Amino acid sequence: MNARHGVPGWMRWLMAGLLGCMMAFAVQAQGNLEIDTPAISALKSSMQKRHGQLAPLYASGAIGLAADGSIALRDASAVPLAQRGSVNALVAAENADRSALYREVARANQHPEWEADVRSTFAQRWIDRAPAGWWVQRGGSWVKK
Amino acid sequence: MAARIAARCCWLVLLALAWVLPVQGIERIRLSIGDIRAPGLSVQGVELQFAAGSKGPELRIAHLALGERAWRGLHLSCPEADAAFPEIRCRRGEIRVGAKRLPLRIDFRFDPLTSAFDAALRLSSGSTVDIRHDGGNLVEVVLTRFEIGELSGDLAGFAAQVSPALAAELAQYAAKGTVDARLAWRQAGDAGPHEKLQLQARLSGGSFSSPDGLQAAEGLALSLDLTARALAAGWDWQGRLAWEGGEAYLHPLYLRSGPVLQAEGRLNDDELVLRMATLKLEGVDQFALTARIAREPPSLQDLTLSLAGGDLAILGPHWITPALVPALADRLRFAGHVGAGAEIRDGQLLSLDLVFDGAGVSLAGVDEGGEVRGRGLAFGPLSGHLPWSATAPTRASLQVQGGYWEALSLGAFDVDALLDGGQIAFGQIRIPLLDGALVLDGLALEHGAEGWRGQGGVVVEPLSMALLTEALGWPSMSGILSASMPGMRVSTGEISLDGALVVSVFDGYLQATGLRVSEPFGVASNLRADIEARHLDLAQLTDTFSFGSISGYVDADVKGLELAGWRPVAFDLRLASSPGSYRRRISQRAVQNIGALGGGGAIAALQRGVLSVFDTFGYRELGFHCVLVNGICEMNGIAGRGRPDGGFPIVRGGGIPALDVIGYNRRVDWQELVDRLQRVIENNAAPELH
Repeated sequence: MNARHGVPGWMRWLMAGLLGCMMAFAVQAQGNLEIDTPAISALKSSMQKRHGQLAPLYASGAIGLAADGSIALRDASAVPLAQRGSVNALVAAENADRSALYREVARANQHPEWEADVRSTFAQRWIDRAPAGWWVQRGGSWVKK
Repeated sequence: MAARIAARCCWLVLLALAWVLPVQGIERIRLSIGDIRAPGLSVQGVELQFAAGSKGPELRIAHLALGERAWRGLHLSCPEADAAFPEIRCRRGEIRVGAKRLPLRIDFRFDPLTSAFDAALRLSSGSTVDIRHDGGNLVEVVLTRFEIGELSGDLAGFAAQVSPALAAELAQYAAKGTVDARLAWRQAGDAGPHEKLQLQARLSGGSFSSPDGLQAAEGLALSLDLTARALAAGWDWQGRLAWEGGEAYLHPLYLRSGPVLQAEGRLNDDELVLRMATLKLEGVDQFALTARIAREPPSLQDLTLSLAGGDLAILGPHWITPALVPALADRLRFAGHVGAGAEIRDGQLLSLDLVFDGAGVSLAGVDEGGEVRGRGLAFGPLSGHLPWSATAPTRASLQVQGGYWEALSLGAFDVDALLDGGQIAFGQIRIPLLDGALVLDGLALEHGAEGWRGQGGVVVEPLSMALLTEALGWPSMSGILSASMPGMRVSTGEISLDGALVVSVFDGYLQATGLRVSEPFGVASNLRADIEARHLDLAQLTDTFSFGSISGYVDADVKGLELAGWRPVAFDLRLASSPGSYRRRISQRAVQNIGALGGGGAIAALQRGVLSVFDTFGYRELGFHCVLVNGICEMNGIAGRGRPDGGFPIVRGGGIPALDVIGYNRRVDWQELVDRLQRVIENNAAPELH
């Protein structure tokens, strides 16, 4: 006997409805990572501006994209000694903006408690989008893309 | 110690035999000796061999241990031996460890009668190690241009045999540099009852780097003077270490030469004790410390330090900002002086005392692009005592003589707080502001894994709008601002305030609720609120902003107001004439201005003639609605009065003469609107009519 015939029509509708609701909820729960607010724009613009200073550091391997959505000073020896302090400050400033970005995206989605999920999703995205030659953290160790 | 010397002498006598015997015409000799043991020395399987006609005597040692270091398969051969009573000389001797020949030559001279000897080791790099024993109590070792790098280069294999851990460490840190040193070791004897060491050493061109570059130094020049005396409890020592050149990065600190450490203490098998040390450091008048460091494994057990006359302008950028808040390095500035005391017991921070004297701290503002801009926030000069203890609550007290927040000056105030572990409970803080005050009530903060969290209440004691607007450089307004927000909550990146901020202004009032400040010190600094304004006198308002003249009253509701960098970036503004009976007139200038703000085409062509004839007009009601999203103001006029032609009335005329102002442009660029308003206000001139 075909199982399909064994399910009353109303139940199929109910199940479809429930499934629809669940999917809708899932979409809702994923949130909108592309959401834009003035605060998010300000953060992105600040990060974009800093990127000019960070790009050669990514390329040289001095800094890399960490698995927790931050950036890390992974090989300071690629930077002249006297500049390591200011590079560390640059990394800290970038990480402050990144943390604020994750908080703000969660807030803009009306779910501040999503911050950790937003962070890990962004972390994966930064790593996936990193150009070849950059260092990224995978499974706890650094690898060159 | 005497046993050690005896053992060494015995060993050297055996060596001597190697040269003495051939002189007496013996064809071949082979001498095996059992173990030689003394504290710190163990020699096993010693075998001396000489054959007539061979290159010279040879000495083999199966196992030699000095302290914790051990060699296996040691082999000394001496191709140019010379024995002239009472001395034995060896030139160009070679040492092998296992199958590997060490890259050095040894020359030595030995007097078996007095046990005096001189030995010179010449390494392939040109470095020399001279060892001299006077036959009595004195041993001197002189290193000349000894290259540390050799231990990670030619001598790496040797170093690995001596101590794999040390070799690995040296190889990992790529330590380099040249050492010149003189060590004098005097046994107890006639010259004194105690064994003594004296060391002068100088490192030049030193460098090292951890693999990740986070611990590194370049161009290091260090000089060390050390004297030590052996007592039953260990070595009593005193010394001076001066950092004379070079730079270092010890994450997260970048340091330059200059510091000089003067210290005395004791060293025994278990620990290194610094009984008293002083450190000369830029920006500090006096820095003293004591410490106890366990040797196995090396770890800081106890530390007490006291610092006096610390110049915050120097300590701030070099030590405080990099260590605590590197992200704010460009914006944070310090001034004044600090004294500090700290105590660590068994590796845990036990207490910390800070005393501020005329200290100041400022955090420069930042615009949305991340550029440092504006005066920001500053406190100081401030003085007081901030003690902290891991074992008991402490009370901190600071007297702050003033400060500023952007354009607003802050008056003098006191901060009293109870510190208990990671918690701070503040007493009432009343910060004078203009003719009122900002009062923080019952503020309590706690530091956890996610940063600072806490709660408290905020009250703004009434302050005059006339003074506030003057300070901010705004058009002058009369009125009073006050606030009562009992439910302030602080979390990482957000401060929310339950309660209301009320401004009585223009004969009405304006009330802000649901205030939330996000990322208060970052580029995304953001303020959200809902505002309700009632019965604002338009005559005063338009006069204040030189907008022409309108008599009457308005109510306004601003939902979801969001300010970024103090500029509105989102809101839903609804403005309408207040209910009630009152005189409602609007001047020709105000009509023109509203028309101009509407973006042109706002006044029906038929009415333009009327406009030029009369100075004022009667009106029935005013209404305006703007939803600001993404920089665009979606406009509408008086609620429910939309026109078939798509226009929306902003001013509905009434009385004689009457005139309508109709808006047609529903989407207006907000920045353009603000610029136009700015021009209208600044130029105080009639805008061009379309």
